Amino acid sequence: MGAMFFGQYLLSKGIIDRDALIDGIERQRKTNLSLTALAVRRGYLTMKQEEAILLRYRTSEADLEELCLQSGLMDREQLDELLRIQRSDWVRIGSALVAGGHLTREGVVEQLAEFHDSQREVDQELEANFKACRDPETVKTVVELAVFHLGRLSDRPIKLQTFGEDTGALVDGRRRFAQKLVGDREFFVALDLDPAMAATVAEGLIGMPLEAGSEAAIDAVCECVNIIGGNACTRLEALGLKLRPEPPFSTEGNELADGSRSIVRAEVIAGEAEMDVRVFL
Amino acid sequence: MTNWRVMTVDDSAAILTIIAAYLEDSEFDVVAAERDGRSAVERFAEIKPDIVLLDLIMPGQSGVETLSRILAIDPDAFVVIVSSLGTEEAVHECLTTGARSFLQKPFTRDDFIEFMRDLTKVA
Repeated sequence: MGAMFFGQYLLSKGIIDRDALIDGIERQRKTNLSLTALAVRRGYLTMKQEEAILLRYRTSEADLEELCLQSGLMDREQLDELLRIQRSDWVRIGSALVAGGHLTREGVVEQLAEFHDSQREVDQELEANFKACRDPETVKTVVELAVFHLGRLSDRPIKLQTFGEDTGALVDGRRRFAQKLVGDREFFVALDLDPAMAATVAEGLIGMPLEAGSEAAIDAVCECVNIIGGNACTRLEALGLKLRPEPPFSTEGNELADGSRSIVRAEVIAGEAEMDVRVFL
Repeated sequence: MTNWRVMTVDDSAAILTIIAAYLEDSEFDVVAAERDGRSAVERFAEIKPDIVLLDLIMPGQSGVETLSRILAIDPDAFVVIVSSLGTEEAVHECLTTGARSFLQKPFTRDDFIEFMRDLTKVA
């Protein structure tokens, strides 16, 4: 079993059904508001100002609180008030399922304990799989950067689900966005995304709506891979590796798998969407 | 005072769009946006912008080669590298070739505008 969110765990174990999970998530969406959404509700921000802050958030490494203060539209006292409201109103999926009558409170406690045990095992397995692969430091650096940037650009909770070697075959309906890194090592980093997720990532980068599958969306995701590859070269330099990236590209074929000795696949979940980060060594 | 005339060079249309959006309503005018090194050199010779923002990793003519060609036309050209690659080796190569500064992607709008304003103090 791979890493997953508690709601997915309950679904996969048959504890709840699909409709219950949807109901739970929808209950959370009604109550769990972002800081900026709360600020709009309290009249501290207009929707246009919220949009501008969120655009900066998606293209920044700064956290949302910092950006709210930097905007000059809110002071520390207002921000602290919003954080208090957010903490007191925040509903976890277990509580949302209890509220919907899908689980008892005792049932949630029992399942949570089992969930945490299973996730500890998954974490240990992921760590062992990283260590077992060819060139673990390089692979780990690339995967961590990819997960970080995908989470930031998609603005969704993101989690590494499974990690291991495989054939590198592109899943049907997805497009591969890749970049070759050369120098002391030679390998490709690739993101395999379906058109909807690619458009989400592209929109996160550019800050404007893009049509799924459009040239602009493809180009933007290539730039996302370029950022991951370039940042990986910078980070790996600290480990003594001299690398440089070649221009990124996009493909719907499996040509990268043909010439590789070892291929690692990291399955990633972002909200309800799934994608792969691959390293072709 | 007239605005600074900026030329952006990047094979990614996404980055050209982002930079144009970040510089909108600022003291910087994007007067040209090129997607490859060769056309950037030609365009530079035509319009002589105040600042060139140049990507490093591009298909065909690389950023460093493009930088050299621009400096061959005008040794005082003010060229800044904007790249996701921030290795010491890459920064050193660009600066010794003649780039005036180096900005690593990704960046926020605020960071970018601040960077550009700092540039104008020495441009």
